[in-house]
Amino acid sequence: MLLGKSLVSIFKLLNDKKISSKEVIDYFLKRIEKYNQKLNAYLTVNKSYKFKKDDKLRVPIAIKDNFCTKNIKTTASSKVLENFIPPYESTVTKRLLDASFFILGKTNLDAWAHGSSTETSDFGPTKNPWDLSRSPGGSSGGSAAVVSSYLAPAAIGSETAGSIRQPSAWSGIIGLKPTYGRVSRYGLIAMASSLDCPGPLTLTTEDAAFILKIIAGKDKFDATTVEFEVPDYFSKIKEKKKFIIGITEEYLEGVDDEIKEAFYQLIKILEKMGHQIKKIKLLSPKYAISVYTVIQRAEVSSNLARYDGLRYGNDRTFFGSEAKRRIMLGAYVLSYGYYDAYYKKAQKVRTLIIEDFKKVFKEVDLILAPTTPIPALKLGEFEKYPFFGEIMDILAEPAAISGICAISFPFGLTKKNNLPIGLQLMGRWFEEENILNLTYQIEKETDFLGVIKNGIKNYPD
Amino acid sequence: MKKNSLTNEAVIHLARLAGLSLTEEEIKKYKRQLEETISYIDNLNELNTTNISPTSHAILLTNVFFKDGKKNERALNLGEVFQNTKNKENNYFKVKKIFDE
Repeated sequence: MLLGKSLVSIFKLLNDKKISSKEVIDYFLKRIEKYNQKLNAYLTVNKSYKFKKDDKLRVPIAIKDNFCTKNIKTTASSKVLENFIPPYESTVTKRLLDASFFILGKTNLDAWAHGSSTETSDFGPTKNPWDLSRSPGGSSGGSAAVVSSYLAPAAIGSETAGSIRQPSAWSGIIGLKPTYGRVSRYGLIAMASSLDCPGPLTLTTEDAAFILKIIAGKDKFDATTVEFEVPDYFSKIKEKKKFIIGITEEYLEGVDDEIKEAFYQLIKILEKMGHQIKKIKLLSPKYAISVYTVIQRAEVSSNLARYDGLRYGNDRTFFGSEAKRRIMLGAYVLSYGYYDAYYKKAQKVRTLIIEDFKKVFKEVDLILAPTTPIPALKLGEFEKYPFFGEIMDILAEPAAISGICAISFPFGLTKKNNLPIGLQLMGRWFEEENILNLTYQIEKETDFLGVIKNGIKNYPD
Repeated sequence: MKKNSLTNEAVIHLARLAGLSLTEEEIKKYKRQLEETISYIDNLNELNTTNISPTSHAILLTNVFFKDGKKNERALNLGEVFQNTKNKENNYFKVKKIFDE
């Protein structure tokens, strides 16, 4: 009865008293029991819920294990924090708890969110629910896998550059990266502080809008959150709107033919729906990778400096290989003699990328592009790619660097391997309602070519 | 020396700055991988950035202040402060000695 139900429909069932919170939570715990071992998607399952007679309504949601959850172990998938019990609640989870959510469990990620495959997790890789020999993407790979296999009706992830959109694309679900500053980072284990964005991974556009409304907005504990009013996304996405949508050659370079086909197929559909498609020119995303590499490593090296094993956690000998590599590159680009050549140069190119988007967003409302250059890789295959698989995030990185909002949604499967294809929409700063609005229109028109529903079919009750 | 190449000493120096200890094997591996990355990011020099000011944050930032004397809602109690450490003595964190007697 519950299989595949969206978060919003579960809320409705609970509100109408058609089902109890205990039944819903037990249902997901049972599914986790059945499938989690195979997928390695949850690191911690929260079985602590005590049901009382006068129970408040509670809806389950999965949380990436780099959000501090009071009294629930939070590891960032690193052995450094293998026994860390946060003494406080992150703003995102606090807002969800206050809005009647129940934290079902904490999901696997690349250690410290460093990676695009969930393979750098110190607790083993998560498997892609579509093909267990493949990676679900990363770093929010656990969150993507639990949603696409319906071990949670929705999940929270975090994105620094691609970590929500890329695993959503590879696992065949919706992933929203809000504008930087829209959602509080307080209590999110810091990776690159000038880039980190929490966001939802969901089965429907409505669910993404619903969750964003709850977690977005000014937080006095995060000075980078903005004062802007949070629109009612849930009703905004249903307004009938026509958009001018930009497309650009730069985002198709080196992209798999089947993904390109899906991209062109959607363009035709959008034109038929009355939207206007416009060719634009953007800087090559290859520069965003370089900017990201420099800035992210620099911020990582300072953010991870706090892990000394004194006040909490294990000492620095517990860092895995990926974290060490990133910390050292960060120390390098920030060090005397290289600061100007790398760090300052990257920050200047960051300005160019922002200006580039500002210019283009005067001509178009939204930009459509593939989310990833290829579909899900096999586990272990990343090492073969230059740059340790960073290239899988190439199409996601310009939006991250510039802070704009973007959303990935599934659009068909590859014929070759039956793997989900992800496309993305990028929008202006703080205009999440528009990328959500068009995604909702695409969902109503095409049902994402059935991807989400078919994914769940592989995981019966 | 080849462009973008690093010496073993440079790798060891970086590790020491970052408080990391590396094995011989790791030094070799990281040297190669760091060189690879540094060569890639060289493409930033293809772009002219004369007269461009650097961006540290994509969103306009302003300082935030709390009023003096206001209750600190984030304050942890002593139990919470020490709940994750083994290095505790009389409500202090025990750390390694920095100075010799």
